[in-house]
Amino acid sequence: MDQRGRIVAENLVKVFNGEVRAVDGVSFEVNAGEVFGFLGPNGAGKTTTVSMLSAGLRPTSGRATIDGLEVGQNPDEVKRRIGVIFQESTADVDLTGIENLEVAAGCYGISASEGSKRAETLIEQMQLGDAAHRLAKNYSGGMRRRLELAVGLVHRPRVLFLDEPTLGLDPQGRAGFWGFIQKLRKDIGMTVFVTTHYLDEADGMCDRIAIIDHGKIVATGSPNELKDGLGGDVVTLKTSPGAREITSTLQLLPGVHAITHQDGSYRAKVQSGETFVPLAVDAATRAGVGITGVTVKRPSLDEVFLEFTGREFREEEGPNATDRAVMINRVRGAMRR
Amino acid sequence: MRREFIALTRREYLKLLRNPQAIFTSLLLPLLYLLLFGNGFTINAASFVNPVYGPYYTLQQALDFLFRGAPNYYSYFAGGMVGFVAVTASLFLGANVIFDKLFGVFKRTRGTPAPSAAVFGSRLIAGASQPILLSFFVLGLALLFGHIPGLHGLDVTASVTPLGVVEILFAIVLLSGLFATIFLTFGILLDVPQTYFAAVNLINLPVLLTSDALYPWGTMPTWLQNVSQYNPVSLAVNVLREVMFGSSAYPYDPAIYLLGLLAWTVGLVGIAIVLVRRALRPLE
Repeated sequence: MDQRGRIVAENLVKVFNGEVRAVDGVSFEVNAGEVFGFLGPNGAGKTTTVSMLSAGLRPTSGRATIDGLEVGQNPDEVKRRIGVIFQESTADVDLTGIENLEVAAGCYGISASEGSKRAETLIEQMQLGDAAHRLAKNYSGGMRRRLELAVGLVHRPRVLFLDEPTLGLDPQGRAGFWGFIQKLRKDIGMTVFVTTHYLDEADGMCDRIAIIDHGKIVATGSPNELKDGLGGDVVTLKTSPGAREITSTLQLLPGVHAITHQDGSYRAKVQSGETFVPLAVDAATRAGVGITGVTVKRPSLDEVFLEFTGREFREEEGPNATDRAVMINRVRGAMRR
Repeated sequence: MRREFIALTRREYLKLLRNPQAIFTSLLLPLLYLLLFGNGFTINAASFVNPVYGPYYTLQQALDFLFRGAPNYYSYFAGGMVGFVAVTASLFLGANVIFDKLFGVFKRTRGTPAPSAAVFGSRLIAGASQPILLSFFVLGLALLFGHIPGLHGLDVTASVTPLGVVEILFAIVLLSGLFATIFLTFGILLDVPQTYFAAVNLINLPVLLTSDALYPWGTMPTWLQNVSQYNPVSLAVNVLREVMFGSSAYPYDPAIYLLGLLAWTVGLVGIAIVLVRRALRPLE
């Protein structure tokens, strides 16, 4: 099998300080040209996995190959074949956009003249031409992200790792960034491995997804496969305060796969929401329980995440990730002053 | 390796040139020392001369003892300031590495296949050039002050040969390179600015205070003189003073002091290379 552009992880394990098992036997394969999403809550092992795959961290056990090369044995050659966009901003703020790219090109052993040519081309492709000779400290968050993407591409890698690439960007910046990724994929056929806490991004942009929790992969598949695997629609019924529990009544209705109950709210995974809702309202009324609210949802990756980890994704990730982005920006601002 | 080194060295110089405030303040510190400390702190060697009872029967004997041949304290001090500046101007080199770590720039460089020698060497070359240039700035300024009425200045009393100039150049380069290496290594090994500055002060202050860079030699207690003669700052300063003021107060030739300084440099740079290579391994 042609290994170009492929990522293979085989039973990767990383234990820190002999006790913290950050990654616990992770295995997956990413095919050439695929956009592969890696989802998980804070501390699940996403960044540690990316670090092991991108020759930044030695696994405690297991092996990884990139582009047919074993990472542990060829770290420098692997670095030549991959681009990495780190979670935190890494733009050299005292250098201009062009200088950032030229220095990065030099770090890959590219000649100064060739580096300058590539820098000019990339800066135009990233729509940063007007700001090419401005210091990166004067770039907006979205511009810096695009500059970092350009830096990650200056040596023309076959595989691109993106660790939370849109963290802290506004919706417009996120959309713009993903537009560039989609274009790269279309133009070059590059393999993209991305960790993100924005489930809508993963749903819309990734060919396949792996969900990692407590260092283990709990689900892998295309977004549609994972959502379909939940077995249809998710219906939420709210009952009047103090009403008796009717889980067993609802469970007997046709097309019901599973029901959970919490604080007077029932979450039912059913074959068809349209069929289930009138039956459920009727059954509840006959049981003397008033229904005060109904929602029917096609399963999203939020539900997939909840199904496999038992936790709401947004509650886990949103505030922490945002706080981190705000904190990074504040520290940067303070240092500039 | 060559391209990586050139690219990273260019980055260091660009960052330096983009920070004119840092350049200005680095010039201001030696200027203030030369103006205030050097001009404010004077010792009259003639008062040590006792033609009847000795031990200094002549002014030259007193000058040799007190200032190791320099004609006055200011000239003695100006030579010492070169050593002082070579050490203090290197202090921030490691801090720059730590800030680059905090802001992700160092991580990005480490994510490339650029060899650790290029990563370290580029910072060393660009970093050490600052104390080297500052040292010459100090010498030039001290000489200039001698021509300004009302100010003390550096008074060179020996005839300086081309070999002497080369010896001074080597002494400044070796001393600057040595301390730039030490502080850069601290920056590579440590991650927290507070820890870095605590560690740097543990090196910086004892080294300067056990040298004869600022103290008049003759007023130092014997034990401090014994310690001082092996201090790398003293070794470098001895080269400068002996070339500028003559050999009468020095038991060895400047080349011997240079060899001593070279031994310090080779030993400590060797240790630094081992530590840095371990810290910058391709896979952590």
